[in-house]
Order: sequence, then structure tokens, then C-alpha cells
Amino acid sequence: MANDRFDLVNWFARYGTILFLLLLVAGFSWARPDVFPTKLNLLNVLNQASILLIIASGLTVCLVMGLFDLSIAAMATLGGYVVCKLLVDQGDDPHVWLTVAGVLLLSGVVGVLNGALVSYLGVSAFIETLAMGSIITGAILGYSESRTVLGGIPEAFLSLGQEATLGIPNPVIVMGGVALLLWLLLEHTQAGRNLYAIGGNSEAARLSGIAIKRYALVALGISAACAALGGMVAAANLGAGRPQGVGDTYLLNAFAAVFIGASTLRPGQFHILGTLVGVLLIGVISNGLSILGVQTFWQYIVQGVLLIAAMFGAGMVTLRRR
Amino acid sequence: MTADSCEAAAPILEVRGVVKDFPGQRALDDVSLTVRAGDIHALLGENGAGKSTLIKIVTGVYRADGGEILVGGRPVQFTRPHDAQTAGIAVVHQHGNLVPNLSVQENLALGEALPRRLGAFVDWPEVRRRAADLLSRMGLSIPGGALVSSLRPDEAAMVSIAKAIATDARLIILDEPTTALLPREVELLFGHMRRLAGEGHGFLYVSHRLSEIFDVATSATVLRDGRKVWSVGRREDLRREAVVAAIVGREKSLAAEAPVSRMPRSEGPPVLEVRGLSSARVHGASFTLRTGEILGLAGLPGSGAEETLDLLFGRQAPEAGEILVGGRSRRFASPREAVAAGLALVPKDRLAEAALGGFSVRENVSLPSLGRLLTDPLTRFVRRGAERELVSGVVRRLNVRATGIEARMDSLSGGNQQKAVLARWLGTGARVYLLNSPTAAVDVGAKAEIYRLLAQLAEEGAAVLFTSTEVEEFPRLCDRVLVFRSGAIAGELGCPDITEARILGLAVGLADSGRAA
Ligand SMILES: Nc1ncnc2c1ncn2[C@@H]1O[C@H](COP(=O)(O)OP(=O)(O)OP(=O)(O)O)[C@@H](O)[C@H]1O
Ligand SMILES: [Mg+2]
Repeated sequence: MANDRFDLVNWFARYGTILFLLLLVAGFSWARPDVFPTKLNLLNVLNQASILLIIASGLTVCLVMGLFDLSIAAMATLGGYVVCKLLVDQGDDPHVWLTVAGVLLLSGVVGVLNGALVSYLGVSAFIETLAMGSIITGAILGYSESRTVLGGIPEAFLSLGQEATLGIPNPVIVMGGVALLLWLLLEHTQAGRNLYAIGGNSEAARLSGIAIKRYALVALGISAACAALGGMVAAANLGAGRPQGVGDTYLLNAFAAVFIGASTLRPGQFHILGTLVGVLLIGVISNGLSILGVQTFWQYIVQGVLLIAAMFGAGMVTLRRR
Repeated sequence: MTADSCEAAAPILEVRGVVKDFPGQRALDDVSLTVRAGDIHALLGENGAGKSTLIKIVTGVYRADGGEILVGGRPVQFTRPHDAQTAGIAVVHQHGNLVPNLSVQENLALGEALPRRLGAFVDWPEVRRRAADLLSRMGLSIPGGALVSSLRPDEAAMVSIAKAIATDARLIILDEPTTALLPREVELLFGHMRRLAGEGHGFLYVSHRLSEIFDVATSATVLRDGRKVWSVGRREDLRREAVVAAIVGREKSLAAEAPVSRMPRSEGPPVLEVRGLSSARVHGASFTLRTGEILGLAGLPGSGAEETLDLLFGRQAPEAGEILVGGRSRRFASPREAVAAGLALVPKDRLAEAALGGFSVRENVSLPSLGRLLTDPLTRFVRRGAERELVSGVVRRLNVRATGIEARMDSLSGGNQQKAVLARWLGTGARVYLLNSPTAAVDVGAKAEIYRLLAQLAEEGAAVLFTSTEVEEFPRLCDRVLVFRSGAIAGELGCPDITEARILGLAVGLADSGRAA
């Protein structure tokens, strides 16, 4: 008897979020059969979710090894703005993909710098990335003189956020690529195992011969590059390079998605598949609620409640083990 | 004798037919036992037999799935540890129960009603006075203001024990309290236990160190696979052969008690040469470890034996001295370089330094061997099949008991976690094993298995540096023992001279046994 109940709780902790996602999809489809379940709208949900997933996947890598990266908001703004600005400044014949790669590299380097400060100066990642975020925000505001880059952005770049290939929106393709790569990294490579081990018990990992300091550079570098890439896709989608506020909307949502993910399938652990579920959940909720004409403030409240419920689900497993 | 005079004393604790199920296994099956006033009741059994689980049920940490518990003759239903405390049960759990970043006196006051001033403000001078009083009554010279995290493991253990003993609890439960203790502290503890038993308190006592059991226990219960297999109510019936047979099963008991038989070899080529190694705690240690040798580093905590292992593994940088591995001078800047050079370390504190609690046994064991399980050097994917094979192999070799290699590490019993930590290094092909209390919390049978494994590793060409807080381990295992005192090697003991008495003599500087180094 006791065993049956345990299994039920356990099952809910693992699959509760997925079940909830399915219920939401069913519910919205039932409420607005003409709007919600259409191909157009579902692609729209995916499209909206893709930027968040690109950013949240990178964040997942950091959280796996136990580091908080709060600079992702500023990093996303940096990615979007700097790319647009550089492209427009190049005039008629810009090197689009070279510029994109260059900015990704730049943001990666800033992330690695985060890692170096955290590892070798022993600063807490929470504070260090908060500070770095502030520095980047300030630098971009100064560099841009608070002016948004609007006209003259090359079509080739805008296609990254607006066009589709073989019927699939380009942002969704980028998201798929990033998520697949990071999933392979975390689940199937030695580096991924080591990241998990460091997050689990860093001293044990160190004594097992893992270079724990270097992994902070890798993780924060990946997180920064992903955030910048997400910012670029957002800018391409919007058709403008805004020097402020782009990333802020994604910061909270990215953390929410990753933590919801940690209560999915493998309770208590951060992982890409869970993050995907978290991102979809957030995407479906905001899409569904706006289709139903619910006001924005409800979306914040619902998302907060959801996050607490997810944490509760993960906590139940640990409690039940007693 | 306490046991005789209290034969008919009233039971403090009665456990009747308790059942506890964990997913995939029954941890306790119809277990009953009785602890009477004046009893020191030993709870014995192999790793994973269910001892800690039973204790957690009695103290309200877990809830039983069946059976009943009576305290002072009345049935009780504890739903949280606080209930047990109010009912007069004090406990020291296997993994300690102090808050590391609080001071000793704050920890001692934790969970009690604090003395107040004006009804609201904590009377800190009074807290300090009570703590100082308690520490001195226990015979401990630990400053009350020290942070628990700054204490040596044995001091922290003594503080937990002091806290449990100082309450006026009728029943005091100690789950492997002596794992970290020095012989002197063990004697201190036993003195207090005998005194309190004489005053009518009852004890439930878990330990894998059988010599302690025969020293202090007055009655005993043995669990195997969650079932009660043996119990005695009188001290006279506590005989070593009977107890060992009950713990490990009759057929295995001979093997558990047999000495480790192997050809002592100190003729092999040197694998590790240490010259003038110095740091804050070690002063100019020099020795040579040869292939096929098991060399013991004995000494009280803080004497330099354990610190030497840390220095060799690159956990701390030595201030001076030279380390040669395989004839080449090496200076390890980090454990990673030491591992790459073929060294392996089993650290002392399993929970803090070795186990990944939330991860599977597979992930725990394969961690340092992943480099040998890759598909190719570029993508560095881990070959799952090869990993499972490697892990299953070493887990079987060390007889780690779990529901499978996918079981979470923290669902294993303490001793089995320890075996998994040791198993971790078997897949790496390490040449030099640095082992700090590798058999702490391991049962009698498994201890013998680990000794045999180490002997086998040595015969296969590895070398072992071994240290332990349990002095009786050195004579059973080591070919040679270096005894540390205040940071320096005080003496060396060869094969026939390795005895507990001589090691202790050198360690505290009483006798001048052995030859000076
Ligand atoms: N939280 C848990 N979840 C699942 N299984 C558990 C849990 N705690 C213990 N077990 C299992 O219950 C059994 C009994 O474990 P317990 O810790 O009581 O053993 P023990 O007798 O204290 O062993 P040791 O001497 O090694 O400390 C073991 O097989 C263990 O794997
Ligand atoms: Mg135990």
C-alpha cells in the first residue's frame, strides 16, 4: 500500500510537468478550437519559444555545475545590438555571417572572463555575473548613445529571425541545433559528466582528477554565447537592434524554464530535455492566455504559481524518500 | 555487573515487528528488540542490514510501514525527530548532526530552550557558561566559541556525542559514533556510557568495530537483510565467534576472521620516493614506497600521517621536499595531475569529499575512468556499454550492495557507499593507492574483503599507502608501518613488530620501540 502511494508521487514528480503541458494544450484547444490548435499558431508558439530555449539551454549548462549566470540578460542585449550596429556600419556589402560569428566569439570571451574571475579570484558567480551584466549594460548604453538601430539591417541577417526553411521557421531550426548540441554535450560526453559531477560535489570531482576551475570557464562561456545568439535571433525577428531591455524579459523566464525542467523526468537535476519542457510550458501558457484575452498581469501570476508548483513537485520526491 | 543487576529492569524501548519498505526493497522485516534501563544494547549487522533505518524509525525521521514502538511501556507514533526528543530519546546519527557554520556552544544549545533575558533576548553569557560546563564535564578541551567546521573530525564527533549525552534522555542512540574518534576519546566515551548506564539510562549502540562491542555492550541484536537473526540479553553470551557468525553468516565467518595471507614484498622497485616533505603540519618526512608493498602511515589525527597523503596527491602544495613517482621528480599542482600520474586517493570524509549523493552508483564509480571509455578523442562521447561493464565489474568485485548500478548513491547504506568510493579507483589502473581510513563504516566481512582486495592489488604490482584511525588495522594489513608524531616520522615498524601497542607507543611518544627514522 505504502509502495503504491510512493510510486504515484514519484510518477507525478517525473511526469507532472509534461502532463500539465498536455492538459494545457488540450484545454486551450478546447477553449479556442479555431485559433489555438492551428498550424500557424503552434508554429508561432515554437517561434516565440525558440529564443527563450536558446538562452535557457546555455543557462542549463551553468546551473548543472552549480553556477548562476545573471549576465545573460545583458549578454542577449549585447548580441542583438552589437550585431545590428556592426552590420549597418559596414554599409553596402556587409559580411553578415562573419560578423555574427565575431560577436558570438566576443560574447563567449566575456563569458570565459566571467569564468576566470569566478574560478581564479574565488568570487561568487552570482555576484560576479550580476556585476558583469551591469558593466555590459552600461557599455552598450554608452556605445549606442541609447539609439536603436533600425534601418539598413541586411536581409540576410533578418532572415535568421523571420524566414522559414522547408516550412520550419529559422529560429526554430537554430533552437533545435543549439539544444541538440548542448544535449549531446551534457548527456553523452566526458565534459558533460564532469560538469554534473562538479555540480554534485565539487571537492569529490576535484579529487577524482577533474579540473574544476577550467570547467567554470567553459560553462560560463557557453552560457554567454547562447545568450548572445538568442539576442541576435530576437533582434532579427524584431528587425531592430535595441540597446536596452531586450534580455530582461528572458532572464526570469530562462531561470523559470530551467528550474521547471529540473522537476521533470529527473527530479532534482538540471537537464536540456527538462528545460525544453519548461520553455514549452511557459510558451504555451503565455500564448494560450493571450489568445483567451486574459490580461498580461495574470500571466505573471500564473507563471509564478507554476514555478512554485514545479518546485513543490521536485521537493515531494525528496520528502517522500524519508 | 551492570547487566546482571538490571536483568529485570523496565524496558525503555520496545520495538515490535517493525517493517520498512523502500522502493524496490524491504529494509526492515518484522524486527523486534528491547532496550532496558542500564542496558548498552549493541545493534549489529552487515552494511545495508537496516541498522540506521531502524534508528531513524525509532527517532521519527522515517515512518514505519508496520509494527509498533513503545517508549517507557507506552506505544508512540513519532512523526518528526522533535517528538522523539521530547519523549526522552537522544541520538547521534551516522552522519553527525551538527551545523558546521555555527559555533560549538550554539550547536550545543540548538534544539533546547535557550536561557532568556527579559523574556525575549537570548542570554548569551549563560549559553556560553553552560557549554563550557558541559564540555569540561565531558572531559573535552574544545573552546566553546570555535566553529564546528574548524574542528578536527574526532572533535566534531565528540561534540555531537556530548550533546546527546548531556540531555537527560532515558535512551541514547549512537550510530557508529567512534568512526572518527581517537582511542583515548573512545575510552572517554565508554566511561561516560558505563556511568550513565549505571544511573539507569539505556543505550542503543551501532558499531562495526567488534572489539568495542565486547568492551562495552551488555546485550545485542544482529540484523541481516532487514531481519533479526540473533540476539543475546546477557553479556556472558557475547562471544566473538558467535557474533561474527551471526553478522556475516556461518559459512563466511571463517573468511572474515582469517588474517590476510600474502607474501610481504618490500623488494620491488620503488614507485614513490618522498624526501624531506614539509608543510605546516609535516616536517621533513622521507620514505620510499615499493611496488607490491602496503605501507601504513600511523599516527594520531594532526600528527602528519593524513596530511602526508594530501600533500602527495596535490591537494595542498608542500613547502619543501621532493616527490619522485616512478623515479621522476614530480610536483603536482592539483589532484588532476596526480591522477594522471597514476595516483588514487580515498579521502577520509566520504560525504563531503567523495560521494556524489544525488547521482547513480554508475556515475559515481566511472567518474575518474571516463577518459578510458571514450569513443574518440575528438567528440569525447562516453561509451555507455563499456561504462556499464566496467562499473558492474568493480562493483561486483567489491560486493557493493545496491538495487543495481543505477541506484542513487545516497540510497546506499554508509558502508556500501564507502565500498563504491573505493571501487571508483579500480577502473583507472592506478599504480599508487593513497587510502585514508578506507574501511571506515565497513562491516567485518567487507573489511576482510577489502583487505584481500588491497593485498591482491599489491600482488598485481600496485602499491598502497594506508592510514586509519583504527590502530588494529595496521597489523592485519601492512607490510611496514611508519609512525608519525607531531609532524615527523617517529619510527618504523617492520613485519613482526607491527602491534597495536608498539604503534600507539610510538605515536604518543611513550616507548622507544622500533628504530628511529
Ligand atoms: N533513503 C533510502 N532510499 C532507498 N533505500 C534506502 C534508503 N536508505 C536506506 N536504504 C536501503 O535500506 C537498506 C538498509 O540501509 P541502512 O542504512 O539502514 O543500513 P545500515 O545497516 O545502517 O548499513 P551501514 O552499516 O552500512 O551503515 C540498504 O539496502 C539501503 O540501500
Ligand atoms: Mg548505517
